[in-house]
Amino acid sequence: MGFERFDALRGLTFDVPEGSAFAMIGANGAGKTTTIKVLMNILEPSRGSATVLGVDSRTISPRELAQIGYVSENQDMPTRLTVGEYVDYLRPFYPTWDRQLEGSIARQLRLPLERKIGDLSHGMRLKMALLCALPYRPKLLILDEPFSGLDPLVRDEFMEGLLEQAGEMTILISSHELGEIDGVATHVAFLDEGRLLFQESMNELTGRFREVQVTLEIEAVRPAQIPKDWMQVRAIGNVLTFVDARFEENGLGEAVRSRISGVRGIDSKPMALRSIFTTLARASRDNGTRWKEGQ
Amino acid sequence: MTIWHIFKKDLRLLWPFVIAVAILWWIEVVILFRLGLFGENPVLANLSLALLPFTAVFATMFLVVAIAHLDAVPGVRQDWLVRPIPRGKLLLEKLLFALVLVVGPIFAANIFQGVANGFAVREVLDAATEGAVIFACLFILPFFALGSVTENMTGAFIFGSACAAVGTAILSSANDMNDFAHGTIVTAANSGISWIPVTLELTLVAVGASLVLWLQYFHRRTTAGRFVIAGFGVVILAVQLLPWKPAFAIERYFSAQPNAAAAVEFAFDARLGKFKSPSGVARSLKNFQPNRGDQPADVFLPLRTSGIPGDSIVISDRVDFYVLSEGRPLYHGAGESAQIDRTGTNSPEKPAYQEIELPMSFYAGAKERSVTVRADYSLTLFGLAKSYSLPALNGSERMPGLGWCQTQTNEAETAVELHCMQLSRAPICATLFLENASTGVQNPPRSICSSNYGLSRPPLPDVIARYAANIPFRDATGLAKYPVDGSQLAESRVVIRLYEPVDHFNRTVTIPEIRLGDWEAD
Repeated sequence: MGFERFDALRGLTFDVPEGSAFAMIGANGAGKTTTIKVLMNILEPSRGSATVLGVDSRTISPRELAQIGYVSENQDMPTRLTVGEYVDYLRPFYPTWDRQLEGSIARQLRLPLERKIGDLSHGMRLKMALLCALPYRPKLLILDEPFSGLDPLVRDEFMEGLLEQAGEMTILISSHELGEIDGVATHVAFLDEGRLLFQESMNELTGRFREVQVTLEIEAVRPAQIPKDWMQVRAIGNVLTFVDARFEENGLGEAVRSRISGVRGIDSKPMALRSIFTTLARASRDNGTRWKEGQ
Repeated sequence: MTIWHIFKKDLRLLWPFVIAVAILWWIEVVILFRLGLFGENPVLANLSLALLPFTAVFATMFLVVAIAHLDAVPGVRQDWLVRPIPRGKLLLEKLLFALVLVVGPIFAANIFQGVANGFAVREVLDAATEGAVIFACLFILPFFALGSVTENMTGAFIFGSACAAVGTAILSSANDMNDFAHGTIVTAANSGISWIPVTLELTLVAVGASLVLWLQYFHRRTTAGRFVIAGFGVVILAVQLLPWKPAFAIERYFSAQPNAAAAVEFAFDARLGKFKSPSGVARSLKNFQPNRGDQPADVFLPLRTSGIPGDSIVISDRVDFYVLSEGRPLYHGAGESAQIDRTGTNSPEKPAYQEIELPMSFYAGAKERSVTVRADYSLTLFGLAKSYSLPALNGSERMPGLGWCQTQTNEAETAVELHCMQLSRAPICATLFLENASTGVQNPPRSICSSNYGLSRPPLPDVIARYAANIPFRDATGLAKYPVDGSQLAESRVVIRLYEPVDHFNRTVTIPEIRLGDWEAD
């Protein structure tokens, strides 16, 4: 799946590896939902192109849609039908629909099949959307802000339902809450104001970011020359702290000592995902420039 | 299979609405049936004439829009957009749903109404099918297109109201312009040739709505779809304003018997004298138009007619008159339409008075001057097509081509009331008179000719046209005496002669050197 230049989504290019759980992260208004709607051909890009399951999104047909599951926090379903009636309605459109799987998901999510969709709570509706997206074992599952407004219990039920059926499917999930994708996503992309800040696998991302604390013999000052990978450099008393965006266990000491004299000790700590994103977002806003792996 | 599947879903969601609309139409039809020809129950008559049709039309409109909104095309949140539902099949299903469950009950109600009123099943089927097609094209399709470019009922209401407001403003401006131009910007609408704009409108509505549906269901171009609706709306309004002359030229081309009116001539004849109103009131109230701030003067020009074939009626569809002085036009206006009939071939040809209406401000300055008046006529010749009769008292006859008619005397016992119903359309031109079947004595015929003899019919799905006329036999004031009076009704018959248009033609009458003041009505 490829995605290229759009006016609303400026300079956005990313690929979702097959079989991955790809998380699109960004604040509200970052362009996540727009991106997904373009991929689903709900919105048409004015320029550029998007490819889904090998097909240009603008020519996506029922054949491709039968292989895509879609769950969104803003999904309008016929409110006067019951959950069961709507599932009955959808079933014939999917040649690969598995009724056993449907039953098992419905039980697992504890969905009241006889209740009208309009009477469902927000969480129940999201679970219902999941029930309508999984039984045909889609190749691609797109989740647009699926956890928005869910209480932790429902979120866990939702995730259990999802992960149990995930199998080989590719998952594209958008969220503005980092905690929601922790432990789920294998890859991550960060969007800000329609731009892609970076795209990386979670392992690489968490592996290369470290919060570094340098203790000096004298009062610390910001070095004149700061490597571009050092972010949020601060001097407090005789301690200099920064975030190393390209951490290497063996190279850190040498890199620090070559720029700072009087180093008494260097301490590096792994960073939580939230801290990494906060750092990147601040750097992006402060510099007004793209920050991307390799740049 | 897919279509049927979606159909079932839509039915599950809309069945109460579908049933409610069908019930409304059926109540209307049952009331009409109960009312019969004379409809003497005022409560039921009011219900069937105003409240029920109005409610049923609005309910149908909302239902059609709701069908589209079940799987709304605009917007980005609809679940169906991410489902493998072929859009062509979805469109077909919606149209099928509207045809089967909206038009279907109306079609069935019409068949019931026609058959229950004694019309032949085959004729009822033909008329109901024609009505259903027109209703589907002129009503269902455009409102479905409106539904397809809106996401919900509020949006449809706002967009529809905006379109209606713009349309009303355009038509109102056109009317104002026409008033300003003394009625000379006459269009083909609401006239004998209105079938031309109606046919054009029908085509444009069908084409425009189909284009919108194609844009929406196959490309989801809502903005383009809305512009198409607006654009076609303006064009359809423009068709309403189709100029008379080219439309009448088309009408002439389609004359049933071209040149049948070749011998018909009109000429000014001062010897016929001034017009004398039978009632003694020259200026009728209809001519008083206070909003113009200029009360008009009526001038009646005597015309001698010749060459009108026997058993024919000539109707002036439109009269353009010019008051000229030394070749220069002083005034251009529209004359009143007139009707001249000739019964049999031996009866003398009647004179006619052309009424022209002039603003008092112009007339005051021009009435003593010697001017030239030129009148350009667009005319239609009607020929006798069929003749029918039925007893004048409590008659009830079913007559092919005329429908089912009944007679009774009115409460004041001054006239025979003739009430008829016919499938699809009422006759467009008829003369009616009382004839004593024993003596052959006849009362003067009364002509009832609609100026609109085209193909037009209202898009409302009532398959039966009802029409009525009063045929007088006694003057309550005692001024007029009728050869066939109330004492002869038992042995008299109402004679109905139907006329059909056979030729359309133009004539110009030029009257040099007259003083308008000489021809003002007394």
